[in-house]
Amino acid sequence: MSNIFPKSANKLPLQIIIYLVVLAGIATAGVTYYMTPKYTRVGYAPVQPVPFSHAKHVTELGMDCRYCHSNVDKSAHSNVPTSQTCMNCHSIIKTTSPLLAPVRESYATGESVPWVWIHKTPDYAYFNHSAHVNRGVSCVECHGKINEMDVVSHQQSLSMGFCLECHRNPETRVRDPKDVYNLNSPTIAAKSGVEAGLKFVHNWNIKPPQSCSGCHR
Amino acid sequence: MKRIFDHPAPSERALTGPQYWRSLDELAATPGFKQQLAREFPEGASNLDGVDRRHFMKLMAASFALGGLGLAGCRRPEKNILPFGKSVEGIIPGLPQYYATAMPLRKSAIPLLAETHQGRPTKVEGNPTYAPHGGASSLLAQASVLDLYDPERATAHTSAGAVINAAAVNDLLAVIGTTYTASKGAGLAFLAEESSSPTRARLVKQLRRNFPKAVWSEYEPVADEAPAAAAQTVFGQSVKPVYRFAKAERIVSLDADFLSSESGSLYYAREFAKGRRVTKKDDPMNRLYVAESALTLTGSMADHRLRLASSHILAFAAALAEKVTGQASFAKLAQGLDAKPEWLAECAADLLNHKGSSLVVAGAHQPASVHAIAYAINAALGNIGRTVDFVEIPASDATSISDLAAVIKAGSVKTLVVLGGNPAYNAPAELNWAALQKSVSEVVRLGYYADETSAHAGTHLASAHYLESWGDARTSDGTIVPIQPMILPLFGGVTEIEVLARILGEAKADGYSQVFATITGIAGGDADKAFRRFLHDGLLANSAYPVASVNFNGAGIAKLVNGAAAPVALSKANLEVRFVTDHKMDDGRFANNGWLQECPDPITKISWDNAILVSPKLGKELGIDPKGSMIQVARKEEADFEQGAENAHVFTLTVGGRTVRGPVHIQPGLSNYTVVVALGYGRTQSGHVGTGAGFSAYALRTAATPSFVTGATLTSTGERMKLANTQEHWSMEGRDLVREANLSEYQENPAFVNSFGLESHSPSILGEEGTKMTPGERASQLPRGGSLYKTPEFDGKHQWGMSIDLNTCIGCNACVVACQAENNIPIVGKDQVMRGREMHWIRLDRYYSNGAIDAAAFGGEGNKELPEDPQISLQPIACAQCELAPCETVCPVNATVHDEEGLNTMAYNRCIGTRYCANNCPYKVRRFNFFDYNLRQLDSLYLGQLGPKGMPELVKMVKNPEVTVRMRGVMEKCTYCVQRIQNGKIQHKVKTAQSGNPSDVVVPDGTIKTACQQVCPVESIVFGNILDPKSEVSLAKAREQDYALLGYLNIRPRTTYLGKLRNPNPKMPDYAALPQSRVEYNKKNHPAGHDHEDHGGAGEHAPAHGTEEKSMKKSPGHTGLAVANRVGGLS
Repeated sequence: MSNIFPKSANKLPLQIIIYLVVLAGIATAGVTYYMTPKYTRVGYAPVQPVPFSHAKHVTELGMDCRYCHSNVDKSAHSNVPTSQTCMNCHSIIKTTSPLLAPVRESYATGESVPWVWIHKTPDYAYFNHSAHVNRGVSCVECHGKINEMDVVSHQQSLSMGFCLECHRNPETRVRDPKDVYNLNSPTIAAKSGVEAGLKFVHNWNIKPPQSCSGCHR
Repeated sequence: MKRIFDHPAPSERALTGPQYWRSLDELAATPGFKQQLAREFPEGASNLDGVDRRHFMKLMAASFALGGLGLAGCRRPEKNILPFGKSVEGIIPGLPQYYATAMPLRKSAIPLLAETHQGRPTKVEGNPTYAPHGGASSLLAQASVLDLYDPERATAHTSAGAVINAAAVNDLLAVIGTTYTASKGAGLAFLAEESSSPTRARLVKQLRRNFPKAVWSEYEPVADEAPAAAAQTVFGQSVKPVYRFAKAERIVSLDADFLSSESGSLYYAREFAKGRRVTKKDDPMNRLYVAESALTLTGSMADHRLRLASSHILAFAAALAEKVTGQASFAKLAQGLDAKPEWLAECAADLLNHKGSSLVVAGAHQPASVHAIAYAINAALGNIGRTVDFVEIPASDATSISDLAAVIKAGSVKTLVVLGGNPAYNAPAELNWAALQKSVSEVVRLGYYADETSAHAGTHLASAHYLESWGDARTSDGTIVPIQPMILPLFGGVTEIEVLARILGEAKADGYSQVFATITGIAGGDADKAFRRFLHDGLLANSAYPVASVNFNGAGIAKLVNGAAAPVALSKANLEVRFVTDHKMDDGRFANNGWLQECPDPITKISWDNAILVSPKLGKELGIDPKGSMIQVARKEEADFEQGAENAHVFTLTVGGRTVRGPVHIQPGLSNYTVVVALGYGRTQSGHVGTGAGFSAYALRTAATPSFVTGATLTSTGERMKLANTQEHWSMEGRDLVREANLSEYQENPAFVNSFGLESHSPSILGEEGTKMTPGERASQLPRGGSLYKTPEFDGKHQWGMSIDLNTCIGCNACVVACQAENNIPIVGKDQVMRGREMHWIRLDRYYSNGAIDAAAFGGEGNKELPEDPQISLQPIACAQCELAPCETVCPVNATVHDEEGLNTMAYNRCIGTRYCANNCPYKVRRFNFFDYNLRQLDSLYLGQLGPKGMPELVKMVKNPEVTVRMRGVMEKCTYCVQRIQNGKIQHKVKTAQSGNPSDVVVPDGTIKTACQQVCPVESIVFGNILDPKSEVSLAKAREQDYALLGYLNIRPRTTYLGKLRNPNPKMPDYAALPQSRVEYNKKNHPAGHDHEDHGGAGEHAPAHGTEEKSMKKSPGHTGLAVANRVGGLS
């Protein structure tokens, strides 16, 4: 009687187990890497209806963040400027630029310019801009060097781990309140050492929440 | 820059398309969007260049790595940020704005501040500028926001079944005006609701000038103000009473529910609480006597309550008047009264001892004669000008609906304009209004819903909600308040003012111009400035009705009481029917409001239905009493309750040849032969929510007897019907949940609350040291004990806590719906409520006690009888934020954990729905989303994925953007309004950082208010930082009546209660030395053999109890962990 299975079949169970382990390992590694915001968000730089250059406006022309994002220190949202804000200058300069046509049209009709949303926390995370910029956390910590970007791209993962990293060690990230809107400025820790950062945190009673209720409601 | 109040003229699109802006549907119709669509392709194509190509390649690589599983679907969909084209002054995206407005209701209004998020009103709060309300608001005001976004409201004007546009409406109204100008209005008739609006009054005056022959009639199905005839007769003036409850030490209510259903009840409740609140030993406390037929919220607060048929109140009032005034003329009227003479005598004596500081109040639904007698008593006691003021009110010259009906019958009405109301549903039954209205050739109806009345009207005009209209109103004391729009009318609705102005042919017929003209006319001075001040403050200063100096003239009373019949003896064959304004539906106008339908009635605890309420005695005679044992303590074998579904018997109620059918609910505390039916249910043409809920009692009501009628009978149909009842437990089972004492006991032993429960029998669980600490010190210093679990460290700058004063809580339910509005709590529908799945984060427990519960609690004789004349104890319960929370230790995924400020937080995203936490919660305050209540329709929940998905865009607009909308399978509960706490803290930090004082991060007391606290008219709920010894909440917790519910579990709840006090008169025949719940407590926990006499008032026993073991052994009730309430939803 001949064997139904060849001898090599004896190795099959072991092979199957090894393949499964390898496959599961690849899947896990793939998910952990490719499904996290670090991969899915960082580098996201959609094309905007108007090719607005932060580098030009901030670095070249020296405008302050708050000229356009005027409520960043008052509200949870950092507002995107209304077309009227753009027209404050562009009714005088580059009044016929075809690139600015959507803005002019929006100003004329009152309809919005559909800017593409880049930095977005999930709906269940309630990030508040005013709480950060008023207390020594600069725009650059989350948004990167927007002042040097021609096209805005997503720089940090903005995942919960990213938030907590800073909430656990605020002394390394805080800036002198004067420097918050100066994206090229160093943090207090980088300028005068971590001790100075700790001192600032202590003096300002900074105690970033690390519990759920800080961000989730 | 000057703000422009006038609305711009509506654009072409606004007149034709759907009007609620910012929906994607509408956006799709705009030229800008179309253009964007047109150019989308080239832009999309360019996406493949540059940076995005890199992304694309990365994604492809990922796809290969995962064996063909593409991850492109994991990318978030592209979303847009849509800033305004032109900046709008004052709007900061992300911050709510508040505008003063008011919610009008009949002849009064509640001044409000409406919270709007980017132009979308989501919540209203009382306007604190109006001092009499102190920032409180009512249940109905809280729920009214939902009506604005009701997808079933009238969304278009129709004429003869066809939709007409706004221009056609204007033409139509103008034509009415011009048609009747020649005939001076002959053939034109108006039927309107009562209103306090000065603008409407002005327009009506003008209407009468222009159309002197037109009929102007007003109709309200329910009365909430004293009949004008009474004051007119005895004072000879057009005045109405305004009560000053804070000054009244002795109060007698003659069938008056002044705490909840009468005009001005918010003010009255607040003032009543001022006289009721006892914070120190020597504080005075008012005493409330109530004679009433139904069990109202006012009755539940009574120190002495007399169950008396409404038709006997006149005799009772006369008997009281005779005792107080000594005039024999009242004696005749008092004949046939079946009440204990001592009750009357002692009550009268108590009043006479408090001349000038007592008060007698008659119910608005009582006839003028009762009111006149009440005025006589108040006059004799010298209360007028002290505890009751009479204010001058404009006399009404509108004709009644019955007179209008007669004119219509005579055929002399060609055009009938019905402004609001719903006469086809709620007009007196004998008028047969629907048929009558049909007989008129042209009927123009202004209504918020296309309802029963609209069905018989040729033209229906969609009405605007008060949050989208310009208007004005007066509060019950006459203060003029603005009604400001928060949003343009979503569906192009018009207001009563606009309709009248257009009929009158006014040049500027829009609401704003009309109100501006009225207010500036009254205010005088610089018109613009005055109007801006009016809108800013939300009221016109010093515009209240002036207090009149009145002279009482007793002679008039004889006229009123002439022909008053002696009270008829009532029996099973001759029942009295009392029609009450529903606590939630009002007269039926809120029938399609899901928040209100689902909110349980404060006394019966029935939601989604009304019922025929009968007394236990009548129930027995009808043979429907639950005959099982343990009626008071547990589920009944008779299965009248089955997991929240009350199995009610269906009866027909017949009076005067008219019949209605409805479920019978046995209600302790009713007058024996009075049957109470709530109006406002049984709508036939409402929306999904309102249609079919309950039965309409209007079918029984005639114009002659609008509030109560005798001669009714009840006949069984033999059928049963399920009612959704959220509290099947009637009794506290002799436990110490609501801790009560009489005032006299409290004065001897202010810390009476400590003589209850296990705590009184053992050393303090907090240890000697812990007992001496303040709650704040306890939170941060007291060791957590030998817990195996890592317990949270409370090192936050604030430690939040709450105190609820049971002594002043009137059970009005406003907190329940305020919480619902603030926290995006869904409604679940009757079927789900019957399964115990209601979602309210705060509930009001209502307990009856009559002292009859036995020591052998389960099965003793005393437990088999329903209490006929119980005392009521009310207790609001929400998550108590236990410091050692039992829910946290059982959560397998750390979805519920503590934060450093003492909040028991709920991370919805972590929750996997095991429901262990709800099982382990001793207060039963956790709520589980069994279905996607926010995503699916309530009638197709069980279809799951097969059911239709999605919420109408309109319904989403009411959601509070600061709070997560929860999904299926997630546990939720009260978080002390964590969104308000966080925003309050952040705003404070922003303020201090910008003003150069960044180290100040502690929010001042009173800045952050929870939704329930803010709405509470009696200020029972106090919330704040317990680390601050001077905060309101710390002061409240420092009071000796402070106790923790189920404190012996060592869960250290942050919400604690202040014990309830009663103030009975020792001379009264129904005086009890102890509150009935205490009697039950003692009977159960200290049965015969144990000396329980000294347990009552004495007060020296509390510490001594530490060693008494025998009483503990005999206390089965001590061992139960959960509050006697619903646990059904968890099964």
